[in-house]
Amino acid sequence: MDYEPDYSRYTWDELLDASEHINREKYAERAQRLDEEITRRTRGISEDNHPLVADSLDITLEQDPQVQEQPPELLLEFRGSAREYFRIWIVNLCLTLLTLGVFSAWAKVRKKRYSYSHTTLGGTPFQYLGQPIPILKGRLIAAVGFLAYYVSTHFITSLLPYILAAGLIAAPWVIVRSAAFNARYSAFRNMTFHFDAGYLGALKVLYAWGIIPAIVIGMMFNWPGKPVVLGIASAVFGFSYPWWIRRLKRFIVEHTSYGGKKGAFFATGGQFFKIYFIAGLIVVAVMIPSGALASILLASTKKSWLGPYLIAAPMYAGYVLAFAYVQARSGNLVWNHTHLGPLRFQSTLRCVGLLKLYVTNALGIVASLGLLIPWAVMRTLKYRADNMRVLQEGELTEFQGSDMGSVAAVGAETIDFFDLDLSL
Amino acid sequence: MITIEGHYFDGRQPIGVPARMDFVDQDATLTVGPISDHCATFHLKVSPPIGSADRFITFPNGAQFSCADHAFLDSLPQESPSEGRVAWLEERWGVALACIATIFCMLLAGYFFGLPAAAERIAARIPMETEQSLGRQALTWLDGKGWFKPTKLDFDKQKTIRDGFNGLRRDLPMKDYYHLEFRSGEVFGPNALALPGGIIVITDDMVKAAEATEEVLAILAHEIGHVELRHSMRSVLQNSVVAAAAAAVTSDAASLSVAVAGLPAIVAQTKYSRKFEAAADEYAFSLLKQKGYSPTAFASLMERLARKYEKETGPFAYISTHPVTAERVQRARDAAAK
Repeated sequence: MDYEPDYSRYTWDELLDASEHINREKYAERAQRLDEEITRRTRGISEDNHPLVADSLDITLEQDPQVQEQPPELLLEFRGSAREYFRIWIVNLCLTLLTLGVFSAWAKVRKKRYSYSHTTLGGTPFQYLGQPIPILKGRLIAAVGFLAYYVSTHFITSLLPYILAAGLIAAPWVIVRSAAFNARYSAFRNMTFHFDAGYLGALKVLYAWGIIPAIVIGMMFNWPGKPVVLGIASAVFGFSYPWWIRRLKRFIVEHTSYGGKKGAFFATGGQFFKIYFIAGLIVVAVMIPSGALASILLASTKKSWLGPYLIAAPMYAGYVLAFAYVQARSGNLVWNHTHLGPLRFQSTLRCVGLLKLYVTNALGIVASLGLLIPWAVMRTLKYRADNMRVLQEGELTEFQGSDMGSVAAVGAETIDFFDLDLSL
Repeated sequence: MITIEGHYFDGRQPIGVPARMDFVDQDATLTVGPISDHCATFHLKVSPPIGSADRFITFPNGAQFSCADHAFLDSLPQESPSEGRVAWLEERWGVALACIATIFCMLLAGYFFGLPAAAERIAARIPMETEQSLGRQALTWLDGKGWFKPTKLDFDKQKTIRDGFNGLRRDLPMKDYYHLEFRSGEVFGPNALALPGGIIVITDDMVKAAEATEEVLAILAHEIGHVELRHSMRSVLQNSVVAAAAAAVTSDAASLSVAVAGLPAIVAQTKYSRKFEAAADEYAFSLLKQKGYSPTAFASLMERLARKYEKETGPFAYISTHPVTAERVQRARDAAAK
């Protein structure tokens, strides 16, 4: 961690947890400050029996002054149960298959509604207000796009460059529309989120420096056939990718608002680069020894059909490990460097924790022939909520809902023709 | 009278205020602290029930009252009435079990009967021309990457095989689309493949492995079977539907467990390709007999290949893409005996 922890903001449990796990040799000075904070708090406890503010619903002035020094936390909880969600999942899946996919838009609403309304912040659940018809429209458009792509790769290959170009032109629109839909139909305490960027903004962010268009145009004219061009293109793409990801994340955060307050994003491209660089090292570190082991095994066995599996397994292991690492680290990076009005976020995802989650999910799903999918979804959402803290520096009244905002929450049922959901 | 306790959200600030609602006949009273307000119940809108989550009552002015789920709320006007019916289904374990059974039967029936039958009919309606550019491209790609090298067979040998091949295809519905290509290619070993659009490639090693032209023709008849039965189009159609269905079933898992998303589709596809092999065999046997050849040639070549390549099978050898089984040889002999 490259930030200096401010222990006065920690809750009691976190302090104890930190003092248990801190590396006292490496961070001697930090450990000392931590201990000081704990002794300071223990004095506070003997004077008052409520050192923790978990729920900020009513911030009263009678609170202990010791407590007011640390920002109150809005408790984020996920209360979904796998048993309940299983029934929702199976009924909606059955209806989706019976209607050859048409019901999937309704199913999405039910499933989203479940996970939103069982996620509570400060005791109040989130609300999903999305409506099936715009989702269905979005899915039809996506299906047509996919079909065009499929036909152009499998049958009418001369069409492929045009399809790719159309995809390039449509991509910013897709990003903006789905971000706007997700924001507009997500509500908390009767106020919806908003996303205000337009097509041109997304176009600028996506295609800045022209790397991606260059690669796609290059593919159209078959430049990647030449190894030198391919090498240069992948090197440029690989090194600029972290900065590109940062621009995208920043674009989404800074154009999302709640109660008139826009998000603010502070993570730097260098921080993203560090994550992807280490992920690359992980892939290499896993693949070289296990690849060597695989080739030894392959040489010693007569069963040559094992070959592809022995080659694929280490690549796969490296990929999954790197994926978990990137998910954990970039999730933390984004949330810990995002402010929304008076709200601060603390994400504490761990690579090992995510990896365990992915592996056990996969094993459970395969062993149960898919019937444990809802269980996997629930425990993943719970894991994420458990590793996210929402702190409040300032008053929630800083968020001001306009009259329009509250009407939009109700008016979600009147469907705007151009309103569609493209996030799949 | 029914009283429900909850929180009031005015929509102007994200602050919840403890509140109470009293319902008497068609009249609802909201009490927030010392203030009370009346509203007719038919102006209210209640959010759909979902699991055990809180529900929201929306007032005509956009304000909301949130409370724990209560059976009474279902008697008020609903924001989304259709969802209420789905929610009714979602609450019952009996329905869930019935759904498991239905999904299971649907997937099995679709996979074994519905989809192959539908793909066969649809493929028959799609003109062969749509596949041709793809097949040509595949061959150019294989040549360009060096997987295939020019044939080293002498011209007379090629001509004998070509003549036999032309004899085989002469009266077939797809007769105008065939292209026979000779290639040498070590990675493929003794092999023959049917590319989309009617291109059939046979490797030098396969020709050499055969002791008689009749054996080469037997293999070519098998590849003709793939073309006539539109196997490349049917496998594209079937595999895309399988992939789409797998995506629909596992869509929730895909985002959280990279490991499982593609698995069902891969398992399903291998099964289909075996069925196609068997169908192409059957087609080849009847075509051979019709043209006056014996399917025994197929059996003897298969047996020889199996013996020869038992120990040294490369990843692309004929054996690995076409599992030689005693069963397959036996079927050829049975067909010959009939």
